Amino acid sequence: MALRDFTAPALPRVNSSAARLVPLLTTAIAAILAILPLRIPGYAALTPALALMAVYHWTIYRPDLLPPLGLFAIGIGEDLLAGSLVGVGALTLLVTYAAVFQFRRHFVGRSFPFVWAGFTLVAGGAMVGLWILHCLLEFNFMNPRNTVFRMVLTIAVFPAASFLLGRTQRALVDGPRLLRNR
Amino acid sequence: MIRLSPQLRAGIQRSTLPVLILLSAAIVIVGKTDQAIFETFRIGLNDAASPVLDVMARPLGAVEAALDRARGLIGIYQENRRLEQDNARLLQWQQVALKLTAENRQLQGLLKVVPDRAVSYVTARVIANSGGAYVRTVMINAGSDSSLTRGQAAITGDGLVGRLTEVGSRAARVLLITDLNSRIPVRIEGSRTSAVLAGDNSERPRLLYIAAPEGVKIGDRVVTSGEGGVFPPDLPVGVVSATGGSGPRVEPYVELSQLNYVMVVDYGLSGALPQPIPPMARPGKRGKAAANNEDPQATARGAR
Repeated sequence: MALRDFTAPALPRVNSSAARLVPLLTTAIAAILAILPLRIPGYAALTPALALMAVYHWTIYRPDLLPPLGLFAIGIGEDLLAGSLVGVGALTLLVTYAAVFQFRRHFVGRSFPFVWAGFTLVAGGAMVGLWILHCLLEFNFMNPRNTVFRMVLTIAVFPAASFLLGRTQRALVDGPRLLRNR
Repeated sequence: MIRLSPQLRAGIQRSTLPVLILLSAAIVIVGKTDQAIFETFRIGLNDAASPVLDVMARPLGAVEAALDRARGLIGIYQENRRLEQDNARLLQWQQVALKLTAENRQLQGLLKVVPDRAVSYVTARVIANSGGAYVRTVMINAGSDSSLTRGQAAITGDGLVGRLTEVGSRAARVLLITDLNSRIPVRIEGSRTSAVLAGDNSERPRLLYIAAPEGVKIGDRVVTSGEGGVFPPDLPVGVVSATGGSGPRVEPYVELSQLNYVMVVDYGLSGALPQPIPPMARPGKRGKAAANNEDPQATARGAR
């Protein structure tokens, strides 16, 4: 399942090694934020999939800085820390990356509602996929209620996360290059 | 550094993603068939990450405290009224309790009852929860350094929270009573109806294998039965909140999504659960591991 090479204009090279780490670092931070104990009633069942948002954003705008090996490590680490089945998180992040990468040229440079709609599909697919996977692994029909809530919450939180990630990208990844070129 | 031909490098780059996806899927299946296989990594990473998580969780605690205080200020007058009434009522109960304690002691003396073992507690802060929709666990910032062991019960002032499933040196994981894998022997308070409290990832776990299902009514208190020797008996768990349909469900006393601190109860019973194979003893710790093996409880377990 080799990915087609992307044919849109090549992404500008980022030389600062610190800036190159920003996408992976923000994804890791998102993964950790999702397991911090916020004491909101019912929250633990409803944690938005923050790392998924980071992967979606960076796969569209800077896939060159999001190596699959890094995603694999973040996913495994998240699973180990969260106490969930090991590998599920890594699988989710990598499959999301692969899926978004296939279609990324449709999203580059498009308006935010379009990007958000794309995320709705991605998050929906990921949550339903996770639900099916867990049903299969547990040999049991699991109540989809939590899955649906989590999906809705994840989609609702995306604009805020996208704004923050966009700001971070402009300030730390793209910004220094623009200044230098001027 | 090894020099690779451009074609080879491109080939490796192109195949990384599919290989990693397959690897993740393989890990899922291996981890599902043998739950213990990643336990060493899990405990190691939890230990390593616990100071980081602890630090990151602290600002959240400060924000919550500030919000709490603001909310408290608004309702302070009503709260005071309510507390005065509560206090009056509780003073009456205190009298009753004192009288009953004295009477109980007297009767136990007459019957020569063997006293319950002394219970000690370790209080720990919750530093992470499980995030997703498919597990219900929390991580606490205490571990074997604070003499916690696997299988011990975690409680709050309100009731049972869960039991310890993984214990590292500085961090431990608590499997909440609502988790899909949680099974706890309980009974209906004031009767001998025993049952198993089974989590299903919803907020309200189910009661299974009830000895006398017709005797279970909404509002009945559910407490641990102490059967199986994992938990001390009579820890409050919750109240029966629904019957019929898929069987009785229990509303836990503890608000499990808002855990802040938990107490781990050392009742001297831990060890009823089989212990995992100890991680490879580091040279410095070998003496300690050997000492553990001579623990009479461990020997008794081995003989069983």
